[in-house]
This record gives sequence, structure tokens and C-alpha cells, in this order.
Amino acid sequence: MTTQLSRTRNQNPDLDLSIQRIIRAPKQAIWDAWTTPDQLAQWWIPAPLSLRVDSLELAPGGAFVTRMSEDGTEWHPHVDAVFLVIEEGSRLVFTNAVSSSWHPSLPDPVAMTTEIILGDHPDGTDYRAIVRHGSPEQRARHEELGFFDGWGTVTDQLAAAVE
Amino acid sequence: MVKYSDELDAMFSALADPTRRSVIARLGRGPASVGELAEPLSISLPSFMKHVRSLESCGLIRTEKSGRVRTCVLNQDRFHLLSGWLEEQRRIWERATDRLEQFVTTGSVDSDGPTPTKEES
Repeated sequence: MTTQLSRTRNQNPDLDLSIQRIIRAPKQAIWDAWTTPDQLAQWWIPAPLSLRVDSLELAPGGAFVTRMSEDGTEWHPHVDAVFLVIEEGSRLVFTNAVSSSWHPSLPDPVAMTTEIILGDHPDGTDYRAIVRHGSPEQRARHEELGFFDGWGTVTDQLAAAVE
Repeated sequence: MVKYSDELDAMFSALADPTRRSVIARLGRGPASVGELAEPLSISLPSFMKHVRSLESCGLIRTEKSGRVRTCVLNQDRFHLLSGWLEEQRRIWERATDRLEQFVTTGSVDSDGPTPTKEES
């Protein structure tokens, strides 16, 4: 049912990305790694950055807020999102298009919806992550100069990647 | 790769100027003539044309002359560097999945794993 539901959602190949991998661990272990704050903080972002989980309310509409730090003292915004779907042990969907306080938001550089699907597999877990991105143009319509701001962030990231 | 980086440098230099940024922001809403673009700015047409040429030479915009009117449009190809950004997002997610996999199979994540890069921060 879970997989069928996800397949009914359209994906836009120009803006969305999808990752699939067989992970040699039980579904429950992966579910816990995503949904237990102490565990999530250990793997989600790479060292030496550290992650702090401020809210992780596992219910549709629940807040999902994380912060990150380079030095462990100064904490910067990382994710400010809400959960859309929680299917215990198998499916997790959240978006930052709406903030944890339920205000519609225009996150930088674009809004995204992340879907994590855990399926059964003889070797462990069939792990899928689907990330659907809004377009910078969409953002520009709401915020005249935002197009440039968003683009600036995008190109900074791009420059870092090609250097 | 070097060439790619040079092209990005040219784009960054062109975008380092507020007048040229305002032109890009305006063109994000659709094509416009040089006259329309220059109107809200309090600079002479000749100096405005320098900005237009700067944006054109790095490929961020294209211009086309029809009669006495020169129309400017954003060069979508340039902005399709977005697809490069998506590739970067994919790499970030692949790495996060590497760390998740390591975490759930070994119970911890190597601190000396893949070197973190700026875009992941």
C-alpha cells in the first residue's frame, strides 16, 4: 500500500531526485535512525558539523526543526518543516514549504518535500528517498528579488562543487 | 572543469553589480526592451548599455534588435545550471545515505568519513 501510494504521486524529473538502495539492516533500525533525535543527530549532516534536533513530532502537521553548528556553540537554522505523512516503521514525509509554526514559507533556495520509504527486502531494507523541489521561478513570483537571492545561493553551492 | 569554472566566474562578476542584478531580477518576469530596463534607473543610456553588454558577454542574457528596439531576455540555458545544482543535491543525499547505512549497520558514523564540503553546511 505504501509503495503504491508513493507511486501515485507525480515526480518531475527536472526538479526531483530519487535515491534507492538496499541497506543491510532491519527497517526498524533505519526508522529509529530517522526518528530518534539522538540518532538522527549522529548521521544526518557530516562531521565536523553538528546537528541539534529541536522538534521531531511524529504526527502529520508535527514540527520538525533542526539546527546545525560548526563549533557547537553557535547554532544556525537547518530545517524548519512539518511532517505530512507518518506511517510507523515504513514511511515518513516532511516539507519545508510550510514552517513548523504552519506559516507558509519560502525557504532558501527552494521549498522541498522529502519522502522516505522503507520496504521489505530479503537482505534487509529497500530504502528510498524522494526529494521534490520547488522551482526558483516559483519563488521569484512571490518575492521579486528573491529570484536573485535564491540563484545566488544555488550558484555558490555550484561553485563550491566545481572548484 | 576549468572552463566551466571560468564561465561561472564571469557570471559572478557580472552579477556582482546591483544595476545588473536589478536587470536580471526584472528579466526574471519576462523579456524587456533596453529602454524599459533603463527607465527606472537614473543612469545614461550609454552607461546602461555597458551593463547590458556585460550580462550578454557572460551569457546570462541574450539581446535581439528589431528595428530601433533592442529586447533583452534571460538565457534559460544559463539558468539551467540549476540541473548542476540538482546533481549536487543528489550527491549530498547519496552521502547522507552512506552515513545512514554506516550508522544502522555499525552503530556509529566514522568521523573521518567523506570530507564534508561547503555546500553541505
